[in-house]
Amino acid sequence: MKWLRKDLEKYVQAKEYVDTVIIPVQMFQVVDENQLEKDSFDSEVLAIFANEIEKELSGRVMLAPAYTYVKGADLGREAERLNEWIKHLKQQPFKHIFVLTLDMQWKKSEASLDANLLWLPGLKPTNLQSQEAVQVIRGQIEQISELIRSYW
Amino acid sequence: MAAGLLAPMIRFAIDPVLQSQEKSGDLVNVNLSVDDITDTPQRVDWEVQQVDGWYESNINRTAWVYKDENGEIVALSPICTHLGCFVSWEGSEDYPNEFYCPCHDGRYYKDGTNVPGTPPLRPLDVYEHAVENGMLYLGEPKPREGA
Repeated sequence: MKWLRKDLEKYVQAKEYVDTVIIPVQMFQVVDENQLEKDSFDSEVLAIFANEIEKELSGRVMLAPAYTYVKGADLGREAERLNEWIKHLKQQPFKHIFVLTLDMQWKKSEASLDANLLWLPGLKPTNLQSQEAVQVIRGQIEQISELIRSYW
Repeated sequence: MAAGLLAPMIRFAIDPVLQSQEKSGDLVNVNLSVDDITDTPQRVDWEVQQVDGWYESNINRTAWVYKDENGEIVALSPICTHLGCFVSWEGSEDYPNEFYCPCHDGRYYKDGTNVPGTPPLRPLDVYEHAVENGMLYLGEPKPREGA
């Protein structure tokens, strides 16, 4: 389920079946020009992962809007804000909360998050529509889904 | 003249597949040769163009395709009729020869009929299909009545 009217309609009917949230955590910047392509590509990849995992497990998983922060921000402070999101989510009966990111900096702040961090290695910038990219992404999605299911 | 009127209706009544073959413009070649379809459901992915209000996009579609005991091609939608998760053929080791939904343990027999007592209340949707020059064409998934 996504945070869309038609899905939320379904959610209120079927709340007891939807116990998991995924928050994509996405970095944004326009200053470091050498990294612009890579950073924006990462954000596209993150969106694809988030969407595909949601598609696979949509009956039990709610995909939250992406939490976005500026590159180089104090992650301690960002973690505090993210924890507020998590606290908010837990007011519903969401049992499992996953934070999905490609920014490895979060790995070091993992302990301060009240959620499970899923850090994914990025891909080399490439055509995301190519057969190879689709195969690689599909394979990874299968494994991430399996990991999420192991918490259920 | 009466016969002329009747013939198209009979065809309609006998086999809805023939109907979809006539307007095969709506069906998409999914790049699978009919010879490669076995009695084990295999995953087939393809893309269709969709214009949806504000967005025009390519969306990915998937079907589980196999030949049933009569040699008829069956193409099932992988979308669980409970809450929309992705079901897989033999997705659980505990339930061989069934489709399995990982979200809430929904199960379906090979023909897509929901296993009573599991969360889904109706069978998996069936794709319209046609065969042309030995290739499989798939259309829209159609809902069926509950078991």
